[in-house]
Amino acid sequence: MHKLLMVIRREYLERVRKRSFWFGTLLLPLLMVGLVVVQLFLVDLETGKQGKVALVDATGKLSSIFESKLAEEKTKDGKPTFLVEVAPVAGSLEETRRRLEPRVLSGEFLGIVTVGENLDSDSNFRFYARNVGNITAQKAIQGALKAAVVGLRLEKSHLNVGPEELKKLLAPVEMESFEVKARGEAKKRGFDEAYFGTFAFVMVLYMSLLLYGVAVMRGILEEKSNRIMEVLLGSLTPDQLMSGKILGIGLVGLTQVAIYAASAGLLRLYVGLASLQAGWTGALDAISFTTMGYFFTFFLLGYFLYTSLFAAVGAVCNSEQEAQNLQTPLVMCLVIPMVMTFFFVAHPDSPYAVVASLIPLFAPMLMFMRIMVLTPPFWQIALSILLLFLTIYLFFRGVARIFRIGVLMYGKRPTVPEILKWARG
Amino acid sequence: MESAVSLHSLVKTFGQHRAVDGISLEIPRGIIFGLIGPNGAGKTTTIRMILDIFRPDSGEVKVFGMPAGDQVKDRVGYLPEERGLYRKTKVLEMLAYQGSLRGASPSAARQEASDWLDRLELAEWKGRKVEDLSKGMQQKVQFIGAILGKPELLILDEPFSGLDPVNQDVFKDLMLDLNRKGASIIFSTHQMDTAEKLCREIALLNKGQIVLGGTLSQIKSRFGKNSVMVEFDGDGSFLQGLPGVARVDDYGQYREVRLLNGADPQALLRAAVERVTVRRFEIMEPTLHNIFIEQVGGHVAHA
Repeated sequence: MHKLLMVIRREYLERVRKRSFWFGTLLLPLLMVGLVVVQLFLVDLETGKQGKVALVDATGKLSSIFESKLAEEKTKDGKPTFLVEVAPVAGSLEETRRRLEPRVLSGEFLGIVTVGENLDSDSNFRFYARNVGNITAQKAIQGALKAAVVGLRLEKSHLNVGPEELKKLLAPVEMESFEVKARGEAKKRGFDEAYFGTFAFVMVLYMSLLLYGVAVMRGILEEKSNRIMEVLLGSLTPDQLMSGKILGIGLVGLTQVAIYAASAGLLRLYVGLASLQAGWTGALDAISFTTMGYFFTFFLLGYFLYTSLFAAVGAVCNSEQEAQNLQTPLVMCLVIPMVMTFFFVAHPDSPYAVVASLIPLFAPMLMFMRIMVLTPPFWQIALSILLLFLTIYLFFRGVARIFRIGVLMYGKRPTVPEILKWARG
Repeated sequence: MESAVSLHSLVKTFGQHRAVDGISLEIPRGIIFGLIGPNGAGKTTTIRMILDIFRPDSGEVKVFGMPAGDQVKDRVGYLPEERGLYRKTKVLEMLAYQGSLRGASPSAARQEASDWLDRLELAEWKGRKVEDLSKGMQQKVQFIGAILGKPELLILDEPFSGLDPVNQDVFKDLMLDLNRKGASIIFSTHQMDTAEKLCREIALLNKGQIVLGGTLSQIKSRFGKNSVMVEFDGDGSFLQGLPGVARVDDYGQYREVRLLNGADPQALLRAAVERVTVRRFEIMEPTLHNIFIEQVGGHVAHA
């Protein structure tokens, strides 16, 4: 036990002490946090500030509904976002606007809304601003204007409608998507968000499995090519060496994934407080305790499954070039679920998806993917985990045998049938 | 007292090849024991079975009376023929790791490794990476790695191969010192002269079998004092034809002549003086090398 711990200790410290580890580990979360913080910052700038809008209205009848409608938009501290200044038309609409423009440039006005006399003509409604890229503000202003104009039109067509009724008539029809979960909780989520969130997780899973599988393989190849293997085997059993390596590097992976998860969790907390736009929260909604639990479960199972195979490749090869060929099928097994993410997110309950997600080599990624999008029946999850455990057990036994023979073999790489013969013992 | 190592009818085959073919051997405690033989004789395979790196197909290995295995490994230091270090690791950390694998706590292993580095004049290299060291320094570090944890048994596989003369002496002195302090040492070599200088007992291996074993003095006395060393100027080809001569080994500077039992060395001297200028003539025990050649036949390449 002491020796196993010593191997784990070395493998862990050796990697965690490297600068490249921290670089890789912190860069991704920092990038994500940075992106979100910048977004928040920008949104904060917008929502925190009041803006004045000049209304140049040739009809002279729009201001009251326009103002009351715009007053519904509030900043974070509850003040109205927009103040409206009704500018009297002096001369033509054009001239009035020109007179006001310096005040836009000076920043006093967020923008100028001009409305011509003829409500039915084209290009009758215009918005002049320094920054026309502010979609949120424009949407609000356009909405208010629309309400005011429709009200005026109704009035002109002699349908007598009061402001309250008008509001009801104009209430927007917006469709929200809800995801049906087995446990009865319904979550608001669209396909894009589901796909984005799931893909992000599966990507992290794929990268970690590949990265750490290859790390184990490289470690073994290094010990072989540096001729250090036999020095170690003087003190260790091959099983101790192999499991120490797999566990040590696994802990490194776990550390990294935990850092990712923690930063995602913090991000979510922060975003939750700041109530960000739907796209972001939707993607981050994926991070619940249940999904994190499943993520770690499938990460670990996938890790043990794949590293044992990568370890076998390392044990029977003498160089990375040699290992390249043998590792290709393993990488393929990891890539297939990645490529099919789109299909599986769209049809998570199709028979193909069900069967594929039970195959142990694909299960870590595919079953997790399905859990992310629809929560499959519990027996399917349990079955895939059980099958994974069984496969890992069988792989470990076989790979330990291959390892014992392979690590001290130099020279010609054994053929695949030979390797399989070793594995059967 | 229990033997340090006892092997009983050990067999190990690889495919069709019988690498070790029925070896039985008792290696007493406290001595330097030589496992000698040409390349491919089965020395390394035997050593690997002693260390439980290979499992024998049949037969039995006992180290200090216990079956080979995990507990035994902590009492044995091993320097394999194929030896290396983690190139990117710092010297002290490398050794501390090796020490900790033999049961020590990381801090204790570190301390011991540090002491050894001081002793072998590598103190200033502790914090450097292994790859920065010269080959000779790396060899010292490897040797320290094998003797960490005060092993009761030290197994050295071809310890002198590839060493410069300075390091050869360092290693030899260390071996003798450790042996005096009580460690049993087994080392394998194909250099007969090294074995002859260092070993109390030897086993000669060829083709997976022991062809000769025992203390050096026993072995030599069994072959009698019937070798002659002649150094001379002139053409020495006549020696082979003289009566009573079994074989002649030409070493360039001198020749070693093995005589048949009962042949008179003085007759040889007389014959030689008639033909060449003799500079040196010495009656001696046969060298291990010659004994070995005689035992396994001349078809083994000169080692």
